[in-house]
This record gives sequence, C-alpha cells and structure tokens, in this order.
Amino acid sequence: MLFKNTPLDRGEKIWLLTLAGFLLVLLVYPLWADTYTLSITRDTLIYGLLALSLDYLWGKGGLLSFGHAAFFGMGAYAMGITALNLNTPLASLIGLFAAVAVPGVASLVVGYFLLFAGVRGPYFVVVTLAIGIISQQAAISWVSVTGGDSGLLGIPHLAVTLFNLSYEFHEGMPLYFLVLAFSTAVLLGLWAACRGQKGNILAAIQDNELRAQTLGHHTSLHLLFVLVLSAMVAGLAGGLYAFSTGFVAPDLLGLMLSTEVFVWVAIGGRGTLLGPFIGAFVVIRLEQFISSINISLWPFIIGVFFVAMVFLFPDGILSVVRRINNFVARKTATHHQEDA
Amino acid sequence: MQDLIPVILNMMTLVSILMMVALGLAIIYGLMDLINFAHGEFVTMGAYTLVVVSNQGGSYWLALLLSPIVGGIFGIVLERTVIRYLYSRPLAIILATWGISLVLRQSFQLIFGAYAYGVAEPVAGSLSFFGAEYPAYRLFLIGVSLFLMGICYVVFRYTGFGLDVRTVIQNRDMAEALGIDTRRVYVLAFGAGAAMAAVAGVLVAPLGSAFPHMGINYLAKSFFVVIVGGVGNIAGVAVGSALIGCLETLLNYQVPVSLSQALVLIVAIIIVRFRPQGMIPA
Repeated sequence: MLFKNTPLDRGEKIWLLTLAGFLLVLLVYPLWADTYTLSITRDTLIYGLLALSLDYLWGKGGLLSFGHAAFFGMGAYAMGITALNLNTPLASLIGLFAAVAVPGVASLVVGYFLLFAGVRGPYFVVVTLAIGIISQQAAISWVSVTGGDSGLLGIPHLAVTLFNLSYEFHEGMPLYFLVLAFSTAVLLGLWAACRGQKGNILAAIQDNELRAQTLGHHTSLHLLFVLVLSAMVAGLAGGLYAFSTGFVAPDLLGLMLSTEVFVWVAIGGRGTLLGPFIGAFVVIRLEQFISSINISLWPFIIGVFFVAMVFLFPDGILSVVRRINNFVARKTATHHQEDA
Repeated sequence: MQDLIPVILNMMTLVSILMMVALGLAIIYGLMDLINFAHGEFVTMGAYTLVVVSNQGGSYWLALLLSPIVGGIFGIVLERTVIRYLYSRPLAIILATWGISLVLRQSFQLIFGAYAYGVAEPVAGSLSFFGAEYPAYRLFLIGVSLFLMGICYVVFRYTGFGLDVRTVIQNRDMAEALGIDTRRVYVLAFGAGAAMAAVAGVLVAPLGSAFPHMGINYLAKSFFVVIVGGVGNIAGVAVGSALIGCLETLLNYQVPVSLSQALVLIVAIIIVRFRPQGMIPA
C-alpha cells in the first residue's frame, strides 16, 4: 500500500538492499560471538537507535538538539523507576511504555512552547543544551527517586506475561534479538514516515519554512510531530538500555552523551537514517581503542573533530564522498572526451 | 524585615554574577548573531587565574586585576583565529565553539586535576546591614559587579565605541556603509565580554570552588538570562538576570536546588512562547 502510492526509486532500492545486507550480518553474527561481544554489539545497536532519533529530528526536521541524551536518559530512568517500584508481573512492560511516554510528553510540552514561538536554528540548539544540563543535574540531586550519582541498579530484564505464560528476555541472544527487532522496526517505520508527502513537506520546511507556510502547511505542527516522535524513539532506546544493562546513571542524560550522538550522526551521514547506526558502530569502536591507549585523549579528539568539521567538511562527512564521486565522474567524462 | 534582608542580598549576589556572565553573551549575540558555547570557559579561566595566583603567593586583588587581561586576551585570540571565519554561519559557530569548550575543559582537567579547588575569601567576617548580619565578601561582590555594570552602561551610552556597538546591533549593513569598522567592533566587544566573564569567575570562586566543568552551569544560566531578557542591550540583561536570579534564589528556599533550576528553565521556556524577543527587545 505504501509502495503503491510512491514507487521505490533507485536510491531507496539501494538503501533497502544495504539495510538487508547489514541485517543479514547481524542475524548470523550471534552464531560465533560470545556473550560479552554480543552484549557490546547490543548496546551499540541501542546507541544507534538513539542516533537514529537525532537524525530524524536534525536530518529530516532540520532541528538540531544538543541535549538529545536528555530524552534517552528520561526513558531509561522511567523504565528503571517503574520496573523497580511496581510490584506486578507486568512491571517491566509498563516500564517500557513509560520509557516512551515520559519523553514524549516532555517533548510535547517543550516543543509546543518553543516551536510555536518560532524558536528554530541556533536558538533551538541553545534551549536543548540547557534542557540537557538541567536534566542531568536533576538526576544527580534528586537522590530519593533517581539514586543520585550512583544511579539505579538491578533493573530486571524485560518480561512478557500472557495469562499464565511468562517469558523473560535473558542476557545473550534473547536480549540481542529483541533489541535488533526494535531497532529494525523503528528504522523501517521512520523511513516509511519520511517517504511520500510527509517527507516532501519536511524537505520543503527545511528548504524554506516561510514558503511552506504560504503554501498552507502548518509548519510548526509538522515540526512538533517530528520532535515528539524523535523524543519517543530516544526514550525507547533509553528503556531498552535500562533493562539490557540493568543499571541507569546520570551520565545517560549528560552533555557528553548528547555530544557523542551528534558525532555519530555527523559521521554516519545526516538525513540517511541508516548512517547513524554505522556512525555509532565506527565511533564507539574508535573510542574504545583510543581510550585504551589514554583515557583523557578522547574528549580532545571529539573537540578537535568539531572544529575540523566546521572548516573542512561543513556539509557533513558524506559531502566529502560526494565531492570525490563528482571529481572522479568529471575525470572520466574528460577522458571520454579526449578519446573522442 | 530582618529575615528578609539576607534573602534579598542572596538574590542580589546571584543576580550580579549572572549579569556579569550574561552581558558578554548578550552583547555578542546582539552584535553578530553569534552564540558562543565556550563562553562558560571564560568564567572557569577567571577562577583558575585566582587559583594560580594564590598558589604562587599572590593576593586575591592581583588575580582580580589579572583575570580580565587573561580572559580578554583569550577571547580576542578565539575571535581572531576561529570565529571570524564563520560569521555567516551561526550553526557552525556553535559547533566550533562547543569543540573548543570540550578541549578547554579537558585541558583544565589535565592541568589542575578533576577535583575542586577551594579558595579563601579575601574579605573575612560579616557586616551589619540594616540590622542583619551578612558576609562582607558577598557585599563586596555585589558592589564590584554593580560598579562594573555601571561602567559598561556608561561606555555603551556615552562613548564613541558604545555608539558604534549600538549602531551595529541596530543595522549591521547600514553601520558598515556609514564607515564603522564592524570587524574592530566585533573583536573589541568579544574581548570585553570575555574579560567580564573572567572577572565573574574570580568573584564566584571563593563562594564555591574552582573546577574544570564549572563554566557549563554558568553557560546554561546565562542563556536563560539572554532568552528571557532579550539580546543586545544592557537593560535586557539586567531584567533577565533579575528575573532568573530572584526566581532561583526564592525557589531554593522552598525546593531542592536541582528542582528549582528545572522550574526556572520551564518559566524561561514559557516566557519565550509569549515574548519571543525577550522582555526588552533590542
């Protein structure tokens, strides 16, 4: 039905094939991976999901959030607090629901006030940065609920209860496949949501919001929708993180994580939806490698990356690939001319 | 009445610090639509100037004199080496200054360690103020910052440089057409804003401590001030600081610190909805 209205173009076919390729690798990968590496890959997938949510907001909606980890952390805390305090077999399911709902409501309120007041661009970055700083401070000092600096420990794995049957997603393959299923479903869902008319409207808003408004689109409402959906995906990632690793700490809301999410999206390719996952994989590997040499080196590298990005590849890493492509294409074109 | 005076003075302490940090940010934003995410590091730099000077046996007063020079020089270097190439790209400036902020914070941590340095108050004891006892150092802090804000107002209002700055804020192209050297205005305003923030760093260090990430909190707060007050004029900064500072101090008496900051943020966001240009538009 979705494809009948808007047939797949060549780029989308390549995108889907790439996704299928990655999925195939990720599906057979557990056959020879041990539990530890599997859990690392699972956490990276969760971070990839967080990066995807920022990419949807920034790449498709044109709104850069500098405190996106706040929504991730809200989801993680909502999951942890519900699962630890509710005394029913359904606690973890309700927790996962709360992990999506809490950031959703928070972003709805914040988004209504900001987006409908015309806050865009750099101003939006500033306010989201402030939200990130405040939520981290709140998580640290609201000790009775959040556990303060040490966070929450011993969050149970997700368990599904239906009548008398109960299934708990254990460490290892069950959790890994659960996270993989969620990531794939959300990725495909967001991809479908950005196709067709909806995607065109978002592209028009990014291009020229005033013109899109003049054509009769309620641009603030469209952007609010994108923000809320993005926050909910980030919250879902937070919820998955909380019951997969079993603990939640104030770092999850923090500025460092928000900064890194930005780097994952920028390296993976803004607006590609699949790229953020790749960016997360590559950068987290790199971070582990560099931190194993010297623990205090990483923030320097991230900082230098920001400055370098602004000067060397202002339109994102992908633009460099595109530029090389164009260069090669031009070279071959002139060769053909010379042959003729 | 006697219970009220410490509350009012506490408010004024926070308000004066906010004014000094936010002034640079607001003027720079008004002048060049430029948001500097490394602004908080000027505060940290001021605080560490005090730490270094007192470790070398120097006095607090020497640090107070040195800090605007350190902050100002660093601000000018930052403007000359990075920011001036990015004036037409506001988002790029945010990213670049955020990168610089990360590098600076990590450098502070490597040089001075991750822990907090306590610094002794240079003015000990307390003064009797309308029948209420209040720490003398805080009164000194309020006095210094009011004095400096007064100087800024005079410079802004009655000097040729201030006139240039106001002209550029009103209309950049027209100012340039009238022969004002906007680049010179930018660099001087940037340096002055950085110097003010660094002085604020020296002033606040004895109240709490100096630590590598202290600037971030001031960055967030001064953004609230700018958002609420409006950009590009001293009155906006004063009103914004007064609102944010008083609200936060009052809330601190009722609820935990973290919650009061979250509430202040919510109030700021609500104000943005109804007054997108701030309380006092430029």
